[in-house]
Amino acid sequence: MKRSSIFAAALAASSLLGIGAQAQDSTVTITWQMWGAPNDTQLWQQLADLVTRQYPDIKVELQLSGWTDYWTRLPVLAASGQVADIISMQSMRMPNFYSLLEPLDDYVKDGGVEVADFETSIMAGLSYDGRLYALPYDVGPWMVFYNRDKFAAAGLKEPAKDWTFDDFKAAAKALTKDGTYGYGTQAFDFIAGPIALGAEYFNADNQFDLTNPGFVEAFGKYVDLTAKDKLSPVFASAADASAASGRFASGNVAMYIDGPWTLLTAQANADFEIGTAPLPRGNDRSRFITAGSGWGISATSQHKDAAFKALQVLTGPKAAEILGSAGRALPARLAEQTYWYDVAAKSVSGTRDTLQYMFAHTTPFRINEKWNQFENLVMQYVPVALTGDTEPKAVLADIQNQLP
Amino acid sequence: MLDKHRSAITQSKTRPRRWFRAGEGRTAFFFLLPGLIGILLFLVLPIFASIALSFTDWQLLGTPHFVGFANYTRLFTADPQFWTVLRNTVFFTVEYLILNIVVSLGLATWISSLKFGQRWFRGIFFLPTFTPLIAVAIVWMLIFTSGGLFDSLMERLSLPFSGVLNSQTLAMQAVILTSIWAGVGYNTVLFNAALDMVPASYLEAARIDGATAWDRFWKIRLPLISPTLFFGTVMTAITSLQVFDQIFVMTKGGPGSATATLGYAIYQRGFQNFQMGYASAIAWVMFALIMALTALQFWFQRKWVHYDN
Repeated sequence: MKRSSIFAAALAASSLLGIGAQAQDSTVTITWQMWGAPNDTQLWQQLADLVTRQYPDIKVELQLSGWTDYWTRLPVLAASGQVADIISMQSMRMPNFYSLLEPLDDYVKDGGVEVADFETSIMAGLSYDGRLYALPYDVGPWMVFYNRDKFAAAGLKEPAKDWTFDDFKAAAKALTKDGTYGYGTQAFDFIAGPIALGAEYFNADNQFDLTNPGFVEAFGKYVDLTAKDKLSPVFASAADASAASGRFASGNVAMYIDGPWTLLTAQANADFEIGTAPLPRGNDRSRFITAGSGWGISATSQHKDAAFKALQVLTGPKAAEILGSAGRALPARLAEQTYWYDVAAKSVSGTRDTLQYMFAHTTPFRINEKWNQFENLVMQYVPVALTGDTEPKAVLADIQNQLP
Repeated sequence: MLDKHRSAITQSKTRPRRWFRAGEGRTAFFFLLPGLIGILLFLVLPIFASIALSFTDWQLLGTPHFVGFANYTRLFTADPQFWTVLRNTVFFTVEYLILNIVVSLGLATWISSLKFGQRWFRGIFFLPTFTPLIAVAIVWMLIFTSGGLFDSLMERLSLPFSGVLNSQTLAMQAVILTSIWAGVGYNTVLFNAALDMVPASYLEAARIDGATAWDRFWKIRLPLISPTLFFGTVMTAITSLQVFDQIFVMTKGGPGSATATLGYAIYQRGFQNFQMGYASAIAWVMFALIMALTALQFWFQRKWVHYDN
């Protein structure tokens, strides 16, 4: 009896306090869940402050966690109803998490956001089933980074924008000598590479169909570079995603494939000139997939309108300029990409030409809710093909088998 | 107030004994409550929740649906990976268990035979036990990585083992070697303590009767430490069936499915593929396996474990 009355009093007091806080305080606090290293805090905080400068009654509270932790925390927080108002989302994870997010199409229309200001492939990447769920802050295709000094020393011409797989292979052969490799392969090469060669890993129903002849052939071409021609070291099944960039920086490999998001680190570690080129094409014209990240509004947020105002600032021109100049992100806003080209990538030759060429030749990045699982299986099973233990086709059949 | 208190004390003295005991029990219950609530909330409840979950298709987001035994039938009949995973787990457990017991018993016997420095060696071999396994595994991964320390050592010795983490047969051996390095210290200290407890008079009597060192070990010391040996074996078997950290760091279950074990499969299905129901089903199969193997060991102990009485 006594205990329950204390409990009731406490409950009443807390609800009174809650009402009081709402009534007297007109500032809205928007929570923002973001990933990043601890030294990124200042940069993201700068963006959060930008919101308050434009809307003094909106305060954005940044909640930063590491990249890997972010994706473990997100579903757990969502399941327990503690997800933030603004959620960060990467395009490749959209099929798993779109249900947490509020569709933005109406907000975009009413808020006067110019969709055409953003790069189109990433707007598609942050949509699901034809609805937009997040506004992007960065974008980038998978491209080839190469060591210009080694190219010159081997007497090779700089790669053309539309170089073919045979050109790429010839370059890798010429660069493989004296204990160094022409190319450093990584798991994602076996997805972005075959796509650029014109192959498809999905069937018409957006389901995995890895053993179709086109994909097997293109996948096999990339496998052979390592398994048959020994132009690249084998990557380990537990290697982290930046394994090749480390070898590249130390001069151990002359080419590797990754996105513009690694350029800043690559530049900081390399003591040679870096060049960039599009992924090699097959017999048809070039085509490239892009990925990127953005921010959406939680479907359970209490302050959706305020959150969208904040979102507009976070993905606005000024924020894009800050992120672009710092080299943190190649802006998804086309007009502000120049800050990245001129400031962050100014000492890397051909970046602007390469990326503009690639953005002009993008192809939709087709994914479904099993994408994450697929990427992990590629990481786990492709090494078996690279050592030559198993035929590429058998490896693809193994992966396909496990995607029910 | 004080008077009231005093009268309460005198009252309790005159009360019948049974009533007094019940009051004591209640007090004890309240003292136990913090621990009990913790166990109920964070141990018993999750265990029952995971049984319930294993009969659903919960995807972490969204609402779970009851699917009956579908997860279990899929596991045993449709999953192309399950039998491989089970085989890997048993393979790891058997090889690791045998090596661990042999090495730690050997080390313990050697240490107990030393005239001086016993404490130092015990300390040195125990060090890896209180080093986090993740840290240990990262260091070993760097040693085994292709072109790493291990490869250059093998090259110098002209042995054909290189890039072990990329080899489907050798990757598991690398994981086992790492586990041995990290896990052998605990059993060494345990067995060493047991060996030191063997009464010196028994050994002396045997020596006077002309028993060789070999006989003294097999016929006196080993039977006398068999209860400790049994404990070490059971505990090591249980932890090795649950192996996860080393595999997560060193191989991620690869290359191919060469090192995929039950522990890693649970993580992969649950936290990478968000198939929480399915992961719970695997967890319960693992539980059943551990239970069965432990029961088997208890049954076998009658044949080789000697208790003093």
